[in-house]
Amino acid sequence: MLIELKNITKKFDKQTAVKDLNMKIEKGSITMFIGPSGCGKTTTLKMINRLIEPTSGDILIHGKSVVDMEAVKLRRSIGYVIQEIGLFPHFSVYENIAVVPRLLNWEEKRIKERVDELLHLVTLDPSYAQKYPMQLSGGEQQRVGLARALAADPEILLMDEPFGAIDPINRLKLHDSFLEIQEEIKKTIIFVTHDINEAIKLGDKIAIMNKGTLVQYDETDEILHNPKNEFVENLLGRDRSLKALSLEKTKGFVTHEGYVITGPNDDQGSLREKMKKTRSEQAFILDENGRLLGRKILVTKKTGKQEMIQDSNPVVVDRNNNLVEALSKMLESGEHQLPVVSGRGKFMGVINLSHIFAEVTAAEAKNTIKGA
Amino acid sequence: MAKILTYFLQNQARILTSTWEHFYLFAVSTFLSVVIGIFTGIFVTGEGRERIGRILLTITGAAQAVPSMAVVALVFIFVGIGFAPAVIALVIYSLVPIIFNTTSGLLSISPKLIEAAKGTGLTNLQILWRIKLPIAVPVIMAGIRSAATINIGTATVAAVIGGGGLGDLIYTGLKLQRTEIIIIGTFLAAFIAILVDILIAQAEKVITPKGLKISR
Repeated sequence: MLIELKNITKKFDKQTAVKDLNMKIEKGSITMFIGPSGCGKTTTLKMINRLIEPTSGDILIHGKSVVDMEAVKLRRSIGYVIQEIGLFPHFSVYENIAVVPRLLNWEEKRIKERVDELLHLVTLDPSYAQKYPMQLSGGEQQRVGLARALAADPEILLMDEPFGAIDPINRLKLHDSFLEIQEEIKKTIIFVTHDINEAIKLGDKIAIMNKGTLVQYDETDEILHNPKNEFVENLLGRDRSLKALSLEKTKGFVTHEGYVITGPNDDQGSLREKMKKTRSEQAFILDENGRLLGRKILVTKKTGKQEMIQDSNPVVVDRNNNLVEALSKMLESGEHQLPVVSGRGKFMGVINLSHIFAEVTAAEAKNTIKGA
Repeated sequence: MAKILTYFLQNQARILTSTWEHFYLFAVSTFLSVVIGIFTGIFVTGEGRERIGRILLTITGAAQAVPSMAVVALVFIFVGIGFAPAVIALVIYSLVPIIFNTTSGLLSISPKLIEAAKGTGLTNLQILWRIKLPIAVPVIMAGIRSAATINIGTATVAAVIGGGGLGDLIYTGLKLQRTEIIIIGTFLAAFIAILVDILIAQAEKVITPKGLKISR
């Protein structure tokens, strides 16, 4: 157990913000705190890095009480990400990321290496190091914010509605790359949100709070399938089976059949042969690093003649997209098979419409049995 | 024109002394009010004292309307005449824009940003030096700039309570009804004012952090 909250209570004047909270947070997991505004979720988060001191109770990290640690030192060992406004406007991207390493007196050479490494991790070009926050888009600022929080390689990351100010489309992209990054860094993340879809998509576990108390704290699919009471049910909304579908990530449904892989300069004739032999409609063009460059489609014309068409900008599914997102991409593009790529554009395989439908049917059956 | 030149050539020493006195009076009083003003601004905007800051902001905002002659007269009543009272009058008068700008510059920084700095592990002093002051620099410098310009003007008025400087020259000209002396005095005061203004504007450009000057 990495973090343990024991009988935490926080009172502001006479108002009780958090009431007798007990919970344990496991190492390497993402825990999402959700609830209506004023439910105590942000207060709880801020008590972990002592931006707010609890009125009573104790918070343990690795079994050690945070109250016994020096507040400034504690904060330097915990990453902290807030909405985009948290970047220091007068510091370049480099200086923003370097804040904590400099406080810890790292050598400049080590700091530079770390900044490069982190920019790569959050998929920003190294040239961004010299830019200033005002020159970045909201999404880019948020990536820098994450890089800054990770600079000194903290074990714990606290995120307070980090994607709250970002438009829905870019938020989805940030979710995907966030999950991609977490796969690599495996931090213990505590994430406050007011968006139930975000909580379901990102959370290993969800902590639902209301009026300062913990209503339900469980694995995400446990919460979806067994909401504890009406409050949780209302929070989840009516479309629970669709939401359950959104728990499944595309990467679990990738198949490696029904398509052909080719290089950018391969021979057309033999490619056509290969596609006919495997009954594939699509051939995906990959570069030497396995990145998807485009695709070739075999189209049968009215005359019965087959023709090869090249599509250099195919619709792709990110492997961290959930099934709802993959499904909507298929419906929009009219394809029944879409290529799946990693965050860095690497080709992983394909996802088929029929497989998603099979999952929908299974989920429906599960809920019907429960309902009956 | 010929009269001006003649007077100028015949009284070079006196003009030079007056100009130097004027500059000295200006420099001492501006330095003192910059130091006192910035410290006051920092103090009243410190953690937990933001309310005092807001009150002071209202007071200094209103105080900017008080005429300089009134301040000089009041200092004369309570402190007397001489160089020191002149400095006191100038410091009091020019403190107003510096405190006003420092306070409003520091108060206008988003609390979220301060929280991010705190959550990242900066101490209060580091937050002040590395985050708050650099971000407030343009506003603070604007306050210093207007205080300096005001001081050069008010320093001529301070001559009535024995401050010396170009004010002396101007009053002499008025008493003797000699236009050329008045012109030389006012011209030099204006010249110093413009020079100082340009210098401070340059300094402002240099010390404003680059990230605050760029737009997309």
